[in-house]
Amino acid sequence: MHRQNRKLTGARYVLHSNHMVTNKITNRRSLKQDRKVRVGVDTGGTFTDFVFESNGRLEIFKLASTPLDASLAISAGLKHVSDKTGVALKNLEVVHGTTVGTNALLERSGARTALVTTRGFEDVLAIGRQARPELYNLNAVKPPPLVPDELRFGVSERVTATGEILDPLNENALAALVERLRKAKVESVAICLLFSFVDSAHEEKIARALAKLNIPLSVSYRILPEYREFERTSTVVINAYLQPLMGSYLSRLSTKTPRLRVMQSSGGSISATVAAEEPVRTILSGPAGGVVGALRMARAAGFDRVITFDMGGTSTDVALCGRDGLRLTNEASVAGIPVAVPVMDIHTVGAGGGSIARLDEGGSLRVGPESAGADPGPACYGRALLPTVTDAHLVLGHFADAGLLGGEFAIDEERSRLALSQLARELAKAARRPVTTIEAAQSVLSIANTNMERALRLISVERGFDPREFVLLPFGGAGGLHAVELARALRIPKVIVPSSAGVLSAIGVLAADVVKSQSRTVMLECSPEMQEKRVKEKLNSHFKLMEQVAAVALTREGFDRSKQLHERSLAARYKGQSFELEIKQTGNIDATFHRAHLKRYGYAQELNTVEIVSARLRSTGIVEKLSIKRGAPRQRLRASTGAVARPSGRAQFANFEGKKLRVAVYQRDELKPGMRLYAPCIVTEYSSTTIIPPDTRAGVDEHGNLIIQVT
Amino acid sequence: MMKQFDPTTLEIYRALYTSVAEEMGVALRRTAFSPNIKERRDYSCAVFDALGNVIAQGDHMPVHLGSMPMAVAAVLRQVDLKPGDVVAVNDPFAGGTHLPDVTLVMGVFTSVSGAGGRGPGKNSRNPTPDTRHPFFFVANRAHHADIGGATPGSMGLATDIYGEGLCIPPVRLVRNGELDEDLMRLILANVRGLDERRGDFQAQIGSLKTGAVRLLEIVERRGAPEATEYAAHLIEYAARLMRRAIESIPDGAYEAEDVLDDDGVTDDSVPIRVRITIDGSRARVDFTGSAPQVAGPINAVAAITVSAVSYVFRCLLGNDVPASAGLMRPIEVIAPEGTIVNAVHPASVAAGNVETSQRIVDVLFKALSEGLPNRIPAASQGTMNNLTIGGIDSRPGDNAREFSYYETVAGGMGARPALDGMSAVHTHMTNSLNTPAEALEYAYPLRVREYSIRRGSGGKGKRRGGDGVIREIESLVPARMSLLADRRKRGPYGLAGGEDGKPGSAAIISKSARCGARRGGRKRTIASKGSWELAAGDRVRIETPGGGGFGKTR
Repeated sequence: MHRQNRKLTGARYVLHSNHMVTNKITNRRSLKQDRKVRVGVDTGGTFTDFVFESNGRLEIFKLASTPLDASLAISAGLKHVSDKTGVALKNLEVVHGTTVGTNALLERSGARTALVTTRGFEDVLAIGRQARPELYNLNAVKPPPLVPDELRFGVSERVTATGEILDPLNENALAALVERLRKAKVESVAICLLFSFVDSAHEEKIARALAKLNIPLSVSYRILPEYREFERTSTVVINAYLQPLMGSYLSRLSTKTPRLRVMQSSGGSISATVAAEEPVRTILSGPAGGVVGALRMARAAGFDRVITFDMGGTSTDVALCGRDGLRLTNEASVAGIPVAVPVMDIHTVGAGGGSIARLDEGGSLRVGPESAGADPGPACYGRALLPTVTDAHLVLGHFADAGLLGGEFAIDEERSRLALSQLARELAKAARRPVTTIEAAQSVLSIANTNMERALRLISVERGFDPREFVLLPFGGAGGLHAVELARALRIPKVIVPSSAGVLSAIGVLAADVVKSQSRTVMLECSPEMQEKRVKEKLNSHFKLMEQVAAVALTREGFDRSKQLHERSLAARYKGQSFELEIKQTGNIDATFHRAHLKRYGYAQELNTVEIVSARLRSTGIVEKLSIKRGAPRQRLRASTGAVARPSGRAQFANFEGKKLRVAVYQRDELKPGMRLYAPCIVTEYSSTTIIPPDTRAGVDEHGNLIIQVT
Repeated sequence: MMKQFDPTTLEIYRALYTSVAEEMGVALRRTAFSPNIKERRDYSCAVFDALGNVIAQGDHMPVHLGSMPMAVAAVLRQVDLKPGDVVAVNDPFAGGTHLPDVTLVMGVFTSVSGAGGRGPGKNSRNPTPDTRHPFFFVANRAHHADIGGATPGSMGLATDIYGEGLCIPPVRLVRNGELDEDLMRLILANVRGLDERRGDFQAQIGSLKTGAVRLLEIVERRGAPEATEYAAHLIEYAARLMRRAIESIPDGAYEAEDVLDDDGVTDDSVPIRVRITIDGSRARVDFTGSAPQVAGPINAVAAITVSAVSYVFRCLLGNDVPASAGLMRPIEVIAPEGTIVNAVHPASVAAGNVETSQRIVDVLFKALSEGLPNRIPAASQGTMNNLTIGGIDSRPGDNAREFSYYETVAGGMGARPALDGMSAVHTHMTNSLNTPAEALEYAYPLRVREYSIRRGSGGKGKRRGGDGVIREIESLVPARMSLLADRRKRGPYGLAGGEDGKPGSAAIISKSARCGARRGGRKRTIASKGSWELAAGDRVRIETPGGGGFGKTR
């Protein structure tokens, strides 16, 4: 089985969808006997996207999502794949990017959950870090805890920071606890005791006692054995809160397609069984898929450092992927609740196509965070007259008469103009000079760009990365409308608009490796005078244990040792600091840390002791690569070496940077690899539009990606 | 007459300058050493124009709102800042607030060679090469966990400034890019926990450099003239918004009075009085009639009073308004010298910043509630419950070293006209985080024994006041603790018929008694302000006030 698949890697897959067809090359070998079909499924708010490999080709389709039960659309789609490929449902290998967890958290529709914790600390979950959410808002509110007061139970016990049992667990009281939980009719229980990551015996005993309840248990030493009780409790509670829901959802799906995997927030996939036990790991499943997909496309096109830019209707997600891959964070929060398991470091800002522009009372032009959303939507949707970013683009001619969603969605340009002319009048009054509608539209875009530039700077410059070494990869409906401007502002030399931007998440889900992350808080001092050998020995024993666990799990999932990769890293800091930097465990730990601190913060303190807070292991089961790879050498084509493409239709007028210019208009699916494009031009496709201003060079690479040279 | 501004460019600069201040804060927090800065985030960062007017300040600590500009003004008066210089100041009578808050100020000069090695962008004008006058100043203020004095944590009960710790007038800590090691040695010789202090100073300097680099990028990209011009426009912008907010208050004079329990030296209550006069878009805030300054450390310097006024009026604006110098333009503050709200040298001031500032806010809101009965909440806990514990960390396995731990404890928020008050949050002039029990136990010979919501402490009413907090900390070694708190005699006021919140309390539970016949231990209630010795195993238990209720209970 494995050998056959490896041979397939050489085959050339072809992207195919309703808006993109490139040359088809079939691989006879795969036609003959490969009956293994992998499917990537990504559930979105509107569409559920499917990507699958069949006969050496990558096929893509979309179905309307079924918000009440996401599994309905998925089942229908998988049935379609099964019919099309002739492979039985139960043999499909499905990887799923899901929003079930996120939605349940946002809508507060999770299980009736109880928390068992150290006595005296029952309220940690409610107190949080004791800060109020907004400094100057007298009417601010905190999100209520996921576990209400009456379902938080304290047990008498205490373990110290050094692992000493200060107060033994009163095991006689556990029977009573079981009774109380039963009476309270809870559906799920989180167990989180102080310092359980140093000694987990008490948590284990409680878990054993509660097993008779026959409901899901989320135990902190298993899910997140790291210090800081509030963040750990919060994470474990989210897990418990989502467990029953996720469990039943996944079991519904896996009865038909037992070979089911789920995308986790950190960019790898986990088995459905693990996802059902640790749903907190899937909390940002969908966005993570998008970033993985974007990175895959960029890598295939020859770029290994990418800033992704996913701009939708109400918000924009940005992420940075360095040469060493995706960046993770342990400090994320979802719906205002901290999630301390590793998630992809995606930064979200409340700026999107639907962001509303308004002049505030002090005379400053604001764009967002209020959004017109899908309803009433931008002025051009015909329901309200709120000027939005989308309206500004429309007025400036950036949609080139193509409209939205390939013209399927009727838009009213006159209303956009009306909304923006009102804004122009207000601007004129404030600036005491005439302001045209076009100028107003341009102003809206420059503010929107400022907000998004801030987000891009935050994940690059502010974290010690030079944007000039990256390419910008826009996706989402509106990404291509802003990408070149933003690249200019940040001096990013190239923009790559991937060829199947509409389904990047599904591609990412399909392409993602199987990843198991573990960590242990170790608190080891590592100074030159202390024998580094001893520290390394201690770390080694931690890592070895974690590797054993991971190896067993990965083997069970069908990856033999040669297909496993175990990456060790350390979360370290100067002794006395509170925030850790993640470094690879290679060579001299001290020196590596000093370098990392210098890069991130601009200085190092060589005299200070380096403290290793946690040992982290990321274990990967390497999945067969999707071959979005280049073909035979003779077919290699470089962007902007071929002929200049013929524009699809009549040239039109559009406003760029304050000038009205004649622009070429291209249909994305008419562009062939190797073609060059006129600039300025507009490239329209089914679900997105890309604008390519003057002073750029643009072409199509051999994979169908648009490559835009900005400088 | 100022030049006309462009609304689009104004918005762009608002975002740019605010993000500089915020980025400085991130850099400071992530590299600092004392839990007080890194975990509790007791710091502020701000950007100033060439004249020392604040342009943007991160959403950090409200108590620093009006007082940071005074520190920068004092530095500019006394020191000729050259490129590469960083000036430190904590003198409460020269722009500081209380001694633990150390402010660092740096000038941002454009370099002759044109900032950075990058070629000028298409739209960038080269900044005027001028190394004599800074274009901007950047400053940050961080609360150091100890700055010397009689009690660990420097938050004790001194009766003059000399007893409170090391006072630093505006002096160059960094000269021409080089840290003044002599001065640093002098400072470190006077404070507890010198490694932590040194690291925190480093982090503060690093954060200033971050701010300077970002500002230079802005100047390089957009040109110095525009950057300077829009800094001024931003100040005027905030002033315009503030005028609108004041106009929303009906014209008239509103008066109120509230008291601090005592100054910790005598038992007398200390009244604060205010009369707010609203006249169109202008406000006058007059503290005449407030108590004379006192012997105990609850004296507030003028900077704190201005901060409190600034905070209260800032709350009347919408979110997302830059905290620039413009906010205070339409507001006149009258604080007679020598009173509790404008103390003069050599008054002790440790709690002025943290306790009196809260009471000033309470008085101001009480007065405004007459004019704005549907917008103003009942009183919140009105104290920060400042707890410091220090001594020698003699836990086995480690070399014995000094430690000094400081924290503030949250309480109940006052009920709002349409909402209950939040429980267990910091309110008004502070928003510092707690130190996690697990982080605390790693760092210090301390152990948190209880951390819970003090149920039933919020005032009853149509809307309930938020509940306070119970926090019990055990010291594992002999140590000295200090407490500076208030609202122990009378709870935070309710409004519109709502009941007052419960007052706070504090106690020491001694181990000797706990291990004796009566389990549960001997519990000794302690005063709101003072210092006490703890034996190993003794616990300090703090119960913080609940917020006042709003409206009559039906």
